[in-house]
Amino acid sequence: MKNNNNVWAKIRKNENFSLYVTLVVVYLLMGLLNGPRFFSFRNLTAMMYQMPMIGLLAIGMLIAELTGGINLSIVSLANFNGVMVYELLMIFSKGDVGGAHGGEIFLALAISCIICMAVGFLNGALTSMLRIPALLVTLGTMTLLQGLSLILTKGYTLSGFPDGLTFFGTGTVLGIPMSLILFAVIVFATHIVLDRTVFGKQLYMTGANPVAARYSNVNTVRVVILEYILSALFSFCASVVMIGQMNSVKANYYESYVLIAVLASFLGGVSPNGGFGRISGTVIAAIILQIINTGLNLLRLDPFMVTAMWGAIIILVSFGREFTTKIKVSMAKKKLEQATKGVKNA
Amino acid sequence: MKKVLDVLKKREALLGLIIILFSLFVTIRVPLFLSYENLSNVLKSCSVTGIFALGVLVVIISGGFDVSFTAIAQVSEYLGIWLLMHTFIGKIGNLFVAFVLVVLIGGVLGLLNGYLIDHFKLPAIIITISTQNLFYGIMYVVCHGRLIYTIPDYIWPLSDKKIFQAMSANGATYGISMVTVLWMAMAIILAIMLKKTIVGRSVYWIGGNPLAAERVGINMKKMTLFVYGLTGVIAGIGALAHIAVVQTVIPNSIVGTEMSVIAAVVLGGASITGGKGSVLGSILGVLLFAIVNNSLTLLQISSYWYNVFTGAIIILSIVLNAVQESQQRKRIIRVKVADTLEGVAV
Repeated sequence: MKNNNNVWAKIRKNENFSLYVTLVVVYLLMGLLNGPRFFSFRNLTAMMYQMPMIGLLAIGMLIAELTGGINLSIVSLANFNGVMVYELLMIFSKGDVGGAHGGEIFLALAISCIICMAVGFLNGALTSMLRIPALLVTLGTMTLLQGLSLILTKGYTLSGFPDGLTFFGTGTVLGIPMSLILFAVIVFATHIVLDRTVFGKQLYMTGANPVAARYSNVNTVRVVILEYILSALFSFCASVVMIGQMNSVKANYYESYVLIAVLASFLGGVSPNGGFGRISGTVIAAIILQIINTGLNLLRLDPFMVTAMWGAIIILVSFGREFTTKIKVSMAKKKLEQATKGVKNA
Repeated sequence: MKKVLDVLKKREALLGLIIILFSLFVTIRVPLFLSYENLSNVLKSCSVTGIFALGVLVVIISGGFDVSFTAIAQVSEYLGIWLLMHTFIGKIGNLFVAFVLVVLIGGVLGLLNGYLIDHFKLPAIIITISTQNLFYGIMYVVCHGRLIYTIPDYIWPLSDKKIFQAMSANGATYGISMVTVLWMAMAIILAIMLKKTIVGRSVYWIGGNPLAAERVGINMKKMTLFVYGLTGVIAGIGALAHIAVVQTVIPNSIVGTEMSVIAAVVLGGASITGGKGSVLGSILGVLLFAIVNNSLTLLQISSYWYNVFTGAIIILSIVLNAVQESQQRKRIIRVKVADTLEGVAV
């Protein structure tokens, strides 16, 4: 009996406890609204295919928010990267994009990855060296990248990628979607980088207190630049998954996902002022949002109603958090009163 | 020479110079640019943006941020016209009633923003992104995306009536539209309010140093409500001007333009961290964007390039801001060091 209590206490003390509860509640709620088809295997795999997209963008956003910044250019960079891959394949395979070979694909991906990192470097350098708010920097790069993609695509959708590339979006390994495997590997790697390396510790320190970090001999400029390069790499990964799933690129795919990425990182417990935020929370939040997204889609809700819901969720979550904090505070007060009573009686 | 350089360090003078040089360049290529007809058209086309920019300016000076003003404008535009066309208000309808309506709707939505931001103490961008989606989504669901083609007659004069009228070769009249007059009148009122009244100065104080402002006795809650309410009101008035110019109510015609308005304000020298910015700067910022847009058309450059130019201008202007600020910081440090050295010598 006592042991049981201990396990329960451990679960309750888990930092993501409320998120797990939300996950279960949302899953059951959407199931209730949609009927048994929501729990079907087909629906589950469909969600597994789509979730990595939200997850990758959300973690990219989380990383930028760790030092109190934000990365608005995350989706436009993913789109731009997709366009770059297409154009590079066009050059390498002399017009036959669909028939490009492995080596050509690899080369195109490598070059576009370097371009992504360069954009990340630009974001980071402007933010840290010139101390420009990240909001403005990434707003500028967002507009710039959107414009460049528009010029390159002339507003058209470019489609027909080689199978080797679409495999990342739609392929399966042992029945598990490749995009999910890719996502899991990336999450694990990022977890190691953030929680087990010196760079990760420096990143959290810079976010929590940049002045203290500088006095502790942390090169904050370097840390922030690396941070934004890392964030841009997530755009690259999201872009690869996106190419695979859509088998096409366009200047403005997934534009609403900027909001969803902010929402996921916010739900996952990241502090917008920097210094706090865990990968695990963000991943669970991404899963929650994917469940809501799929559930609402299955209900054939007006897409603008869904837009309104995304907005309402942030405000509702804020109210919920305020409420739980109040309860916690009042409970702590009661405990304190009881303790002081005990002392007085003694 | 030094005096000239000092004047140029002011953002407004620099912007003015850039506008003049750019206009000269375009006029040499396309003489049509400098004609009264073209310039009055440019002024009319950027008046709505200019009015929105005034609202954004207030928020940015106060150290806040607002991306929901476009959604507020959209809602007050649609709801206002709907009330005028389909309810009893229409019977007593005139331009003044329409004005009061949009001001009321915009003000209420703006106050809601202010309340949420003050209550949760969350970054304004997160709250306003969510309220933007909330307002816009709900409005779109309610109106099903239907356009309103017939608007009340009494709104027409706002854009049709012109001062300094002239006749073009094909018989059409042109001149400074009433919308532009409205923009200028609002700009003057706002400039006086920001410079001469206690409320206006408080907006600068809470932006420059919120902690000090609170210690001095400024009620932060009231100021937050005031600032976001005022932005809502100005967005409502901007919506009225937008109706007059477009003469149709299109439910998705304003949302999506928020970043270009914010970019114009920032270009005008407003600091995103708060405490800095001027009405004249915002006007010049809006004008520069409008002139660039107009000359791209006159020079027959593809409109795909517009985003690239916008993005490049944003990045250039923020880099300029940052360099200026870092120079000021250095000067302050130099003065401080000189003072201490003097103290030591004495």
